Amino acid sequence: MNLVKELIAGASRDELIWLSGYIAGAVAQEGATPVATNGVAAAANGAASAAANSTAPSAASANGASVSKITIAYGTETGNAKKLATDFAAQAKKKGIQAKLVGLEQYRLNDLSKEEYFFTVISTQGDGEPPAGAKKFYDHIHQGELKLDRLKYSVLALGDTAYPLFCKAGEDVDQQLQKAGGQRIVDLRKCDTNYEDEAGSWFDEILRRLDNSAPTGNGSGHSASTANSASAVLGNGATKTGGKKIYTGTVLTNIVLNDRGSSKQTHHVEIEAEGVSYQPGDSISIVPTNPVTVVEAILALTGADPARVFLHRSEEAPLSHLLRHKLNIVYLPERVVRKYASIVRQDIPETRIGLLDLLKIYPVKDATQFHEVIGILEPIAPRSYSIASSPEAHNGEIHLTVVKDTFCVNGETKHGLCSDLLSQLEPGQTVGFYIHPNSRFRLPAPDKDIIMVGPGTGIAPFRSFLAQRDSTGATGKNWLFFGDQHFTTDFLYQTELQDWTKTGVLTHLNTAFSRDQAQKVYVQHKMQKHAERLYSWLEAGAYLYVCGAQEPMSFDVENSLLAIIRQEGNKSVAQAESYLGELIEAGRYVKDVY
Amino acid sequence: MSDSKNLSATEGIKQRSNALRGTLAESLLDETTNAIREDDQALVKFHGMYQQDDRDRRDERAAKKLERLYSFMIRLRIPGGFFTPEQWIATHHVAGEYTTGVIKITTRQTLQLHGILKSRIKPTLKAFNKVHLDSIAACGDVNRNVICTAHPMQSDIHEQVHAYAAQISEFLKPKTHAYYEIWLDEEKLTDKKEEEDPLYQDRYLPRKFKVAIVIPPNNDVDVFANDLGLIAIIEHNMLKGFNVAIGGGLGATHGNAETYPRLATVIGYVPADERLFKVIYEVVTIQRDYGNRSDRKLARLKYTLDKYGVDWYKQELAKRTGFELEEAKPFTFTDREDYYGWHQNHKGLWYYTPFVENGRVLDDEQVALKSALLEIAQTGKANFRFTCNQNLIVADIKKKDKAAIEAILHRYRVIGHTEAASAIRKNSIACVALPTCPLALAEAQRYLPVLLGKIEPLLERHGLEEENIIIRMTGCPNGCGRPYAAEIGLVGTAPGRYNLHLAGDHEGMRLNRIYKENLDEAAILKELDLLFWLYQKERITGERFGDFAWRQRWFKQ
Repeated sequence: MNLVKELIAGASRDELIWLSGYIAGAVAQEGATPVATNGVAAAANGAASAAANSTAPSAASANGASVSKITIAYGTETGNAKKLATDFAAQAKKKGIQAKLVGLEQYRLNDLSKEEYFFTVISTQGDGEPPAGAKKFYDHIHQGELKLDRLKYSVLALGDTAYPLFCKAGEDVDQQLQKAGGQRIVDLRKCDTNYEDEAGSWFDEILRRLDNSAPTGNGSGHSASTANSASAVLGNGATKTGGKKIYTGTVLTNIVLNDRGSSKQTHHVEIEAEGVSYQPGDSISIVPTNPVTVVEAILALTGADPARVFLHRSEEAPLSHLLRHKLNIVYLPERVVRKYASIVRQDIPETRIGLLDLLKIYPVKDATQFHEVIGILEPIAPRSYSIASSPEAHNGEIHLTVVKDTFCVNGETKHGLCSDLLSQLEPGQTVGFYIHPNSRFRLPAPDKDIIMVGPGTGIAPFRSFLAQRDSTGATGKNWLFFGDQHFTTDFLYQTELQDWTKTGVLTHLNTAFSRDQAQKVYVQHKMQKHAERLYSWLEAGAYLYVCGAQEPMSFDVENSLLAIIRQEGNKSVAQAESYLGELIEAGRYVKDVY
Repeated sequence: MSDSKNLSATEGIKQRSNALRGTLAESLLDETTNAIREDDQALVKFHGMYQQDDRDRRDERAAKKLERLYSFMIRLRIPGGFFTPEQWIATHHVAGEYTTGVIKITTRQTLQLHGILKSRIKPTLKAFNKVHLDSIAACGDVNRNVICTAHPMQSDIHEQVHAYAAQISEFLKPKTHAYYEIWLDEEKLTDKKEEEDPLYQDRYLPRKFKVAIVIPPNNDVDVFANDLGLIAIIEHNMLKGFNVAIGGGLGATHGNAETYPRLATVIGYVPADERLFKVIYEVVTIQRDYGNRSDRKLARLKYTLDKYGVDWYKQELAKRTGFELEEAKPFTFTDREDYYGWHQNHKGLWYYTPFVENGRVLDDEQVALKSALLEIAQTGKANFRFTCNQNLIVADIKKKDKAAIEAILHRYRVIGHTEAASAIRKNSIACVALPTCPLALAEAQRYLPVLLGKIEPLLERHGLEEENIIIRMTGCPNGCGRPYAAEIGLVGTAPGRYNLHLAGDHEGMRLNRIYKENLDEAAILKELDLLFWLYQKERITGERFGDFAWRQRWFKQ
């Protein structure tokens, strides 16, 4: 009672009204009549109500739920958020709530200020970024001018605890909507990669808030069954960590696909993966380890005790283990460099740099400082690679196509940590990985035609597609556009593609080798060359996939695609864009670009 | 008439090919492979090309899921081996841009370029076309490059005799327009009658056909190794006519006794007028009509000749030409060599023959021959004449220009290199063999120079280093390097192993025979060491090594 008195004493009038409504609503949950709820809610003038609230008569709800219309928006990269949002919309419909399902890339930003119930499912990419399609929406809610007083919202954030900025995009959306005046009716829920349970319970809670009836069995049942299937096949060496099943596979083969004289080094790696289930189009994520030489150099330089135990993300581990397996020390992002700078109290230019170099150029003054530095380091981010094998054709194995990443930092040639690691794997060594499902990048029905644009390592998922379709006897036609630098040295999987052409699995194979002639020829040029056929395939219902470098390839390819649609379909610029939009909507134009 | 049943597969390919077009155009457009379709591989030979691949790289590329490293060899049509400086400059640049860079002088007075990717064939042939060069009929079942005694000092009327090479080459060239359409992008023929070919019809010959013109007494062209040899009969500096020899051909298959090398048989004499061309024409048509089209291994004119008999062939020839050949006139061969170093012809023009090891024109640490020849060509002061020993003659140099040319030759060490080469090296021939020839069983071009380095000390030891002993090595028994007409022949049987052939004469009128089989390097050197010792000990003064071997019966009976 004292507590209550304290509360009341500190509350404003609005707050008291709200409180009374809240309590009434809480009581109503136990089965009180909606009439009482309505009455109290009506008094809660303009205040957010945790109780179901309806400003219009709702005929739709079976037990008189007061909310009839909500918007469920999703920001998705691989399709998971969209799938969840779609499920939620279906659940809402069953409960008599009309849910408008919309992708954030298509969401009309002006509508936001008119929204009343707005639920967002949004995933986080890479370094805390929203999905590419959701960027427009994301930027919109970050500009200061927004007034969303009517808005009642909640955010479900999907992410991966392996990454330092876990669910950051979701967090940002949650914060920004509040700053703009929106009212949070269910707290932000952050999900790791094994998200089904959490996501299900989040939406259950929303439904509870929206409607005074008990949550339907469907939500949790769905989650349970999903959880069951997700945990179904735990193969050899699988361990459950932080919600992800981490497998350990033995390397069977590691060859360089490029011939002598190539300026590239693309590896084809085959990993034993008995019992690992995946689908063509999925990726695997690998957490690379740091090079032993760098770790030893750091320990030598700082004189730190490698056996000293630290607490890192609720795990205790010796320093040497952390430096080798857990902490990102080779390419520190700017935000970490800034923290380092403030620890050692030095001016450090904002650039990506390794910890060893930092310690050399801006040394720590003692062990304590070094321990502080350990504290600001982030976990090693996993890298994803499209799976190049097919479950049907390459049973028990996972194949990867990995190009050794080479870039320049301060005039020095450096190699990508993970690709470097993979390139050096020898048969017999093991590698830890987990499956990163790519639910939007999937083969269609077996009788559908597919067009694949996959230059360089972008060919990986298409090798999976072709091998799968070959194995399952799919009747749909298959057309591949491949490109790289030189025909004689860089024609990845050439003999396999030739064999598929001979047996008819590969209906058309067009190639573009950019440096074999004076002018650069890329895959989009070959697409244009066959514009008529390409357009007729699309008209006949073909699915088009693009995989590989985002910049500039996927943009160039998309521009060419639009030009082809304009030209062959006799369409205006807007019509062509709309045509492409329809393809996207129907899931017939999908990208996996990086 | 020859068997019309059971024709070899190649016969069908030729007949279906629409005058040698096949699906070459489509093959060129296939962007998924650097190879051409199988049938087209047979047809492209008629256009002067072979599809090859680098055999050294096969396994590694297969492991990388890459197709074989395909490329094309282009052989030019250079009747009598005569080349202008413009043509040399163009070849130099084409070689640099589209090929391995090495210009290979063949054993039949023409040039080969290797390593040309499918997509570069057309630009290469177009570049050659600009300097009036083509590769038509340089390979395939047709008349090949017509060769002729190379050195103008051979005779005061060399020029007149040499002119026949180009004439015969044109005369026996296929009439198809396919080459111009496919490679040079010329207009397609609307009237097929324009390419009607009464000589080759639609089936061409059963096999390759080689014509050689020789001016005695130097048998530099190895005239008897050809299907049709024309021996120039010159009296009082006037060309009277030619002795006609038919049925030469050196190819054989290990272990197939039905195949054998054969030297041409002299069947008569024809005066140097239009009758000559009638004889040439009908020799070809008889082979066309009677040659074996079922078994390509028995398809050369020599087998036709032996099957039906020399008399029969002469009669058939008389029937078709309308006259009998006269009795062959006497002639002698005393040599079979290139004239290294500086020489003049009867007009006072100068000629320099450098030593080009195995015909490979390139720049290396020892001699920068390719650069030298480019610079010489750029002066415009010399022509180039290729020999049948894989050499060339820097030719037709006016007296006033000799010093300038000589300076260039000295500067690039060409003269030094030529003078330093041993006698046996200067008399050696090796075929290409590995890595590009699909038929090679053992190395030739890449190995003979090394082996010679070990043979030279043996010769020196026995005081024989000045002897012009003709030694030839091939990677297989097909005989592209004319090993059966050598004094010492080495014919590859397996990697590192060769059959040793001896007792061929020096002039090219007696084939050698197998002496010992499957020898490795140590065995070869051991044998030669002993043979050289016996030779210097027991020879008659001036007796050639090949004749001595023949006398000693150094061959399997």
